[in-house]
Amino acid sequence: MIQLYNVSKRYSRDSVAVNDLSLKIDKGEFVYVTGASGAGKTTFLRMLYVAERPTRGQILVDGQNITRIRSHHIPYLRRKIGVVFQDFKLLQSRSVYENVAFALEAQGKKRFEVSKKVYQALKEVGLEHRLQRKPQELSGGEQQRIAIARALVVDPLILLADEPSGNLDQGVTLEIMELFKRANARGTTVLLATHDYSLHQRFPRRVITLDEGKLVGDQRPMDPFGPES
Amino acid sequence: MLEAVRYFFLRALRNMRQWPFLCSAAILTMAVSLATIATFFLIVVNIEQLAARWTQEIQVIAYVQTPPSPQELPELIKKMQQLDGVDQVAYVSPSEAMERFGERLGNDAVLLQGVRSDLLPASFELALHSEFRSQQGIEKIIAQLESLIPVDDLRYGQTWLERFNNFISMLRFVGAFLGGFLLFATLFIVANTIRLTLYARRDELEIMALVGATMRFIKIPFMLEGAIQGFIGGLLSLMFLSLSFSLIISRGLHAFWLTPLDFDLLFLTASQQLVLVLAGVVLGVLGSLSSLRRFVRI
Repeated sequence: MIQLYNVSKRYSRDSVAVNDLSLKIDKGEFVYVTGASGAGKTTFLRMLYVAERPTRGQILVDGQNITRIRSHHIPYLRRKIGVVFQDFKLLQSRSVYENVAFALEAQGKKRFEVSKKVYQALKEVGLEHRLQRKPQELSGGEQQRIAIARALVVDPLILLADEPSGNLDQGVTLEIMELFKRANARGTTVLLATHDYSLHQRFPRRVITLDEGKLVGDQRPMDPFGPES
Repeated sequence: MLEAVRYFFLRALRNMRQWPFLCSAAILTMAVSLATIATFFLIVVNIEQLAARWTQEIQVIAYVQTPPSPQELPELIKKMQQLDGVDQVAYVSPSEAMERFGERLGNDAVLLQGVRSDLLPASFELALHSEFRSQQGIEKIIAQLESLIPVDDLRYGQTWLERFNNFISMLRFVGAFLGGFLLFATLFIVANTIRLTLYARRDELEIMALVGATMRFIKIPFMLEGAIQGFIGGLLSLMFLSLSFSLIISRGLHAFWLTPLDFDLLFLTASQQLVLVLAGVVLGVLGSLSSLRRFVRI
């Protein structure tokens, strides 16, 4: 699903965010991307949805080489990718319904299809009763669930989450992780950037570790479907 | 297609409702800018109209040494009337000239007693078509006239006409310069106001790009919003202009002239009013487009 060949991203001569990164992530995998702050996790994810372009190397997503993808093709690539951020990135002036519907409307989906799918997505994250609320009226955990609903409502092939639990307490983090696991179980490839080591101890999955932009570890759990998962 | 149009239109309206302050700021900026330009346009148009009135008095007086014989006169007048740019021709015989002079002298006309009645030269007074009431136009007529009859002297207010021409040229230059400057300032202010409104909504633009919205999907509602704001701004400027025209400008200008003007001040014609409103729409769309280019990065 995702292949990187000798990918580097330099912002300047002295600032290297990702350094000669090569890896392969299969369809339906659940992968943690870990490392200290500044290790290159966010840049790595941003390159996958072409918010950044690599300085060197090749990136393939779903068989498409996105290294030099033309600007007008980027929206169509992004429709295959759901992205969840630490700061949620919700439209505060819009209702919960509108925030989730936005992703479908952007893809030109018909109105009846939008309302049906939005309701399903919000039900999936347990917020179907908050349709008309504004995000600021909700807790951090609920806001993150809206963001996840927005990412999942388009049935993405890949779900990228950049420190999704960074602003949330332990209880809410576990709820969020359940949502990611359920999406993964439906076949979505999940990449979760985090520096919270307790997460992959609790939910063991493949762990890619970055340090100063370099791949320094790629561990696969012995039994990903073990009792803890 | 229809559903897409409906969706974009509703989104533009919803955006305006959600950001009433920003929306009002953009509308008011456009209204004030358009009203300023239109006011300036009206001032220039009215001064030109006034100036055109002054040129109505312009005529060419050709003095001839030997008065034409009564037999030649009708033919001569007919030929003069056929000249390019000549509207009417009046012949003033030496005795008529003396009579006019006497009238002008009033009580002092007695001074003319004993003076020969053919002392003053005969003349032809040529009224001109409006497009020939200029230095160049008059020169053309004079050239034709001189080939028709030997002219002793010519009077057409040369100095006045020269000054008038200079005044009109300056008016046009200042008008074009200030008008251009105003237009540039308007574009700058409107584009920056819209840019500020978009800056406040940059998160929305970023999220749209993130969820796979195409450029078209992102831009169309904002451009529609700009068009609606421009349309309302154009209408507001028109209302403001017609109100201020009837209340302030016309009264103020009549008072300024001290004596009542012998013509009605011009207001924008129906087509000019339409152009003003359409200019608002174009301004709104272009303002949005130029700002979007800066903020929307896919």
